[in-house]
Amino acid sequence: MRRENHAEQAQIIIRSRLCSPSFIFSILSDSPDSNYSKLKYIVSSSVTEACNNSVLLLGPRGCGKNAVLELVLEDILKEHPDMISVIKLSGLLHCDDSCALKEIARQLCIEHQLLFSKMASSDDNTQFLVSMLRECGFAHKTIIFVLNEFDLFAQGKQRLLYSLLDAMQSVTSQAVVIGVSCRLDADQLLEKRVRSRFSHRKLLFLHLSRDDLHRLLEHILLLPTDGSLPHDYVAAFNTKLLHILADENFHGIIDVLSYPYSTVSELSRFLFSTVCRMDLNPGILSLENFKAALTSVQRQPKMEGLKDCSILELYVLVCMKRLEVKELESCNFNSIMEEYKSIHDTFQTSDYYARNVCLRAFEHLLQRGLISFEDNRGHLQSSEFRPVKLLISWHELQQGLKSHLSCPVLLHKLMDRGN
Amino acid sequence: MSEVESPRINRRTTRSSSSSTPNSKSAVEASKTSNDTQNLSINDLVYDNESIAFDELIDSFPGRRSQINELVNHLGPLNSPMIPLFVYGGPSRGKTSIMLQIFRFLNRPFIYSSCITCYSPRILFESVLNQVSLHRKNVGNGYSSAKRCEKPSDFVNLLREGLATLMESLKGKVDKSGDKKLSSQVNGRMIYLIFDNLELVREWDKSTSTLSLLFNLSDILKMAEVGVIFISNTSLDTYQSDTGYVEPFPVYIPGFTEDDLRQIFMRNQANPKLYSSFLDMVLKPFCRITRQVDELATVFSPLFKKYCEPIDDLGAVLNEDTKRKLFSHLQPCISLYLNEAFSITSQPLMKTSDNKERTWRKGITKKFGDESLDEIDFHMSASAKYILISAFIASRNPATLDAALFDSTGGSDNHKRKRKSSEKSKEQKETKEQELLNKGPGTFPLERLLAIFQCITSVGEYSPGYELQSGDFGGEYCGSRFMSDIVLQLSSLCGANFITKGGTCPLEGSIRYRSTISEDLALKVARSLKFPLSKYLYRR
Repeated sequence: MRRENHAEQAQIIIRSRLCSPSFIFSILSDSPDSNYSKLKYIVSSSVTEACNNSVLLLGPRGCGKNAVLELVLEDILKEHPDMISVIKLSGLLHCDDSCALKEIARQLCIEHQLLFSKMASSDDNTQFLVSMLRECGFAHKTIIFVLNEFDLFAQGKQRLLYSLLDAMQSVTSQAVVIGVSCRLDADQLLEKRVRSRFSHRKLLFLHLSRDDLHRLLEHILLLPTDGSLPHDYVAAFNTKLLHILADENFHGIIDVLSYPYSTVSELSRFLFSTVCRMDLNPGILSLENFKAALTSVQRQPKMEGLKDCSILELYVLVCMKRLEVKELESCNFNSIMEEYKSIHDTFQTSDYYARNVCLRAFEHLLQRGLISFEDNRGHLQSSEFRPVKLLISWHELQQGLKSHLSCPVLLHKLMDRGN
Repeated sequence: MSEVESPRINRRTTRSSSSSTPNSKSAVEASKTSNDTQNLSINDLVYDNESIAFDELIDSFPGRRSQINELVNHLGPLNSPMIPLFVYGGPSRGKTSIMLQIFRFLNRPFIYSSCITCYSPRILFESVLNQVSLHRKNVGNGYSSAKRCEKPSDFVNLLREGLATLMESLKGKVDKSGDKKLSSQVNGRMIYLIFDNLELVREWDKSTSTLSLLFNLSDILKMAEVGVIFISNTSLDTYQSDTGYVEPFPVYIPGFTEDDLRQIFMRNQANPKLYSSFLDMVLKPFCRITRQVDELATVFSPLFKKYCEPIDDLGAVLNEDTKRKLFSHLQPCISLYLNEAFSITSQPLMKTSDNKERTWRKGITKKFGDESLDEIDFHMSASAKYILISAFIASRNPATLDAALFDSTGGSDNHKRKRKSSEKSKEQKETKEQELLNKGPGTFPLERLLAIFQCITSVGEYSPGYELQSGDFGGEYCGSRFMSDIVLQLSSLCGANFITKGGTCPLEGSIRYRSTISEDLALKVARSLKFPLSKYLYRR
């Protein structure tokens, strides 16, 4: 019983670590040429030297842009307590200009304990923003604007970006604009006048290297020795873990995991799945946990969908494949029915069903995402006449038929013959 | 900050409502009930007052032990944060019920909203906010939401505030532990948001922004005590977006195997042996067409009734003879049911009287696709029937054939001698006709429909054996007085989806129509008018 409590506590510790990106990135940010140090230098120099600055953080999703930014802001708030206010906007929520100005005004009011009126117009809000920038400039306070999903702000007329970057050009204001985006060409989306006011500083966040990966694994998974858990349990856990991390099989698992993408978020999902599968009785991670987690994280939805098909649905898929091989321009439900009928006439199967039953099987396949309509003009034609296409390849269909529990032999023959 | 007013709907008074005097007593009662239901607490965010044990949970879902284990492990021990969860699998596999029963077992608070009932972003946001602020719509507040919320930014701000107050009350409850141990005590400090039927969001107007908002919700909120769970019919790769989103953790709920299906259908059966022998007969053949539980259940219930017809006492013990008798009784019907499994007929398929048995026995020997009834089973006026037939002819035949089929006398021309064509050109012609047929019904402008209609109705009065209706027919319809009638009939046929409006012709700008009825229905309608439809069709 007490063992289970320790195991649960260990699980909670590791899960909380995996769900907080700042913990994960704190270990990757100690070298002097990491993005953390560069960003910190930019922001702290603009704060201390009272100048304006703008920077873009670019990189694929899950590479730590927001996490590193949070770490930098935390540190700067500790070092210069009253000299900063942070305004956070997101392109998903605030891409409309009036909405964004309202949000800026609201956050500024909360920071400085002013009363916020929801009825203020966007002109009022702009005025408020400009005067706040001026006042903060006189008081030597820096306002840091964080724009998440920066590429969504760059859609449309970019009025907000222009007004922000323009307001920064005056001598009295002290502001830093930090844009975060997952598009690596986000700065190319800016208009000419906006781009000229932008400082063209970009920090690229890239994928993990092997060494970083290993450091990260140890950092996340090793239990703390000075916590509330008993020493012998922690020691047993950590030794077993180090043993696994040095294992060749484990290296193979990590290779397979990081082959498609090696971002931190993929790794944390994998580790989360592993920790969830930890057997609570010994309360120690084993290699089987890692293996099971790998299969659960890397899924093949089309194969799963194929395995769950009924036999009639498999017939429809094979008919579509044969029509594709015959290279007709497009097939619709009618042509599939004709192919089905011709198969029945040639081979005299027992699986010949009426049209409405086949139509229902066809609709199941559409629902499951194995086939789809080619065009979007759904309201003009009934579903029997619209052209459809297969969303799985020949190889996938063959594999699916092989792994299906009760696939008739005829379908295998038809697939092989057409190849 | 100024308060947001709830929208007030002004109701128009009708004669009946203004004439009835309001009953003061019922008004008092109504306000009393609203007061009782007004004060919701955090306990109402839990599934039920009685929680269930783990074994009960596993038993109520046969064949789902490993999936339930995986989900419970993902939710983790009490007060442990989680990454967003994405539960997917085909329809009627038990995803929603498993999720809700797991929460009943764990006794943790959750907020559930389904994208079927919340069919637009505003309704979805307001539903979530209502539950977060423990507000229930009732008579007292005019069935309005707690706060009006349309924009995603407002939603995120209000949600954050609401969740913060909920956390406070949860923490307060945990601190006050010990004195009142209620069985409905909420477990833990975490709150879970469940979004069900997520695949419907893809068809909304603002689908990309709403989906990005929902998938990124845990990142935007940045609250460790909130867990987000999505339930969907389709897998993650069907949710496409330009710049992607943070992927939630997928858990797949597979379809049922035949053994699982047998277990499911055997639950709660009055006579298990009888039903088991019934399933031996029907489960395998029907599993070849579909493996969805809801579809199988709809087919099995009338079949089981048919199966039990020979025995008088449903509770009787089954021996080999009875089994064989029941088997031979049901066997011929199975193939019929296999083909009518998904059609909804207006009359029941199986009739118990003897002469009807003879008719349906004959029906089995007919070729597939024929319906057992020879008449249309809804009423249409004669002019509507003629319009329908003209529309069908116009959609089926290419426009160039009209001159040949409908000459000045209104009859189809059979006197021209046809040139003998060679075998190869005949084959080519056939394949072309077949392709045209496969492409579906074509579109036609209104003028063509009216022209064909006039030709047909003028023929109608000359065909033998046709009785004139009481209203005038034939030549009368050529008059402009009845043209408006025809256009009205056409619009009501469009409303009933017998005829749809196609795209507009780019050159002329006139609306084109398309007929959507099947050949069977057209033949039935023509038969009811005694109209020789087959002579006018392009290909039989």
